[in-house]
Amino acid sequence: MEASSNEFLRGTLKTIVLKLLAERGRMYGYEITQSVKERTNGEITLTFGALYPVLHKLEQEGFLLTESEEVDGRLRKYYSLTPSGNATAIQKVTDFERFVEAMQSLLKPMNGEVSLAKL
Amino acid sequence: MGKCLSLNSDFEYIFITTTDMKKLTPQQLSTLHEHLIRTNTNDRLVGELLDHLACEAEEYLWKGYNFDLALAKITQDANSMAVKYLRETYQHEVAMTEEQLQNASLDDIIFEFRNKAYGAYDLRQTYPFALRSALILGVGLFLMMMALLSGIAKGYWDFFSSTGIMWVLGLSGVAYSIGTWFLKNQQLKHLTTT
Repeated sequence: MEASSNEFLRGTLKTIVLKLLAERGRMYGYEITQSVKERTNGEITLTFGALYPVLHKLEQEGFLLTESEEVDGRLRKYYSLTPSGNATAIQKVTDFERFVEAMQSLLKPMNGEVSLAKL
Repeated sequence: MGKCLSLNSDFEYIFITTTDMKKLTPQQLSTLHEHLIRTNTNDRLVGELLDHLACEAEEYLWKGYNFDLALAKITQDANSMAVKYLRETYQHEVAMTEEQLQNASLDDIIFEFRNKAYGAYDLRQTYPFALRSALILGVGLFLMMMALLSGIAKGYWDFFSSTGIMWVLGLSGVAYSIGTWFLKNQQLKHLTTT
């Protein structure tokens, strides 16, 4: 379960991050992992090893803005979407929704077609 | 400022006032920082990961663990394997693009994921200039010395002899290298102040 869900997660990480930032506006790394964990009831946990490379990649591609603030003696880096990041977030979420729909029609049992074949 | 976020079951944020929150002391923070350095964390990620691990630690403290136990749990999760995985995915994801690589110098490639602010990058960048200046300065001083010595040996001074020409060449070499060095320093000062 763990290994295969990781495999599914890898392709959707960017979508998850962009979607969360589109909803919340401004988040920092730990907040993103916690929010994903809470919302999926612990089904999906992002490790820092997976999250930060994606955040920096998105920043490099110009989708994210960063601000650093000092909090309790350490620097906290907040991420927010740029206009092009916003557009990409919308695009990615709709793409993913279409993908999920397609997957669902693949996964549901083929009863309908079997009965058609019988007729 | 200074508040950590926690989520309740309805996915809504509750802000916990600073007085309720367990905070890490500077010593505890530096323990985490040392752990990150020891596990060889990517320079660009140390600050962010420190905040990440500190948030994790504070959550453990909040749940009632003491710091040592929290530290043990965190260092177990963020062991060198996990950090190695992080570095590898990071370098894979955030590597220079083809066109950036086309224009990159060897120094840029070597220092791609390293700390440029530390100083070694600047030293390498100015190395050819420093080498050229030092060479010209050295040869110039040598020529001047030779001219001076042969002038003393002869007992008279003539600018239109080979010693005189050596002296003039040496002097202009020294002047040139000191001059360009001075100009470069002025430029750097100007760049750092603006």
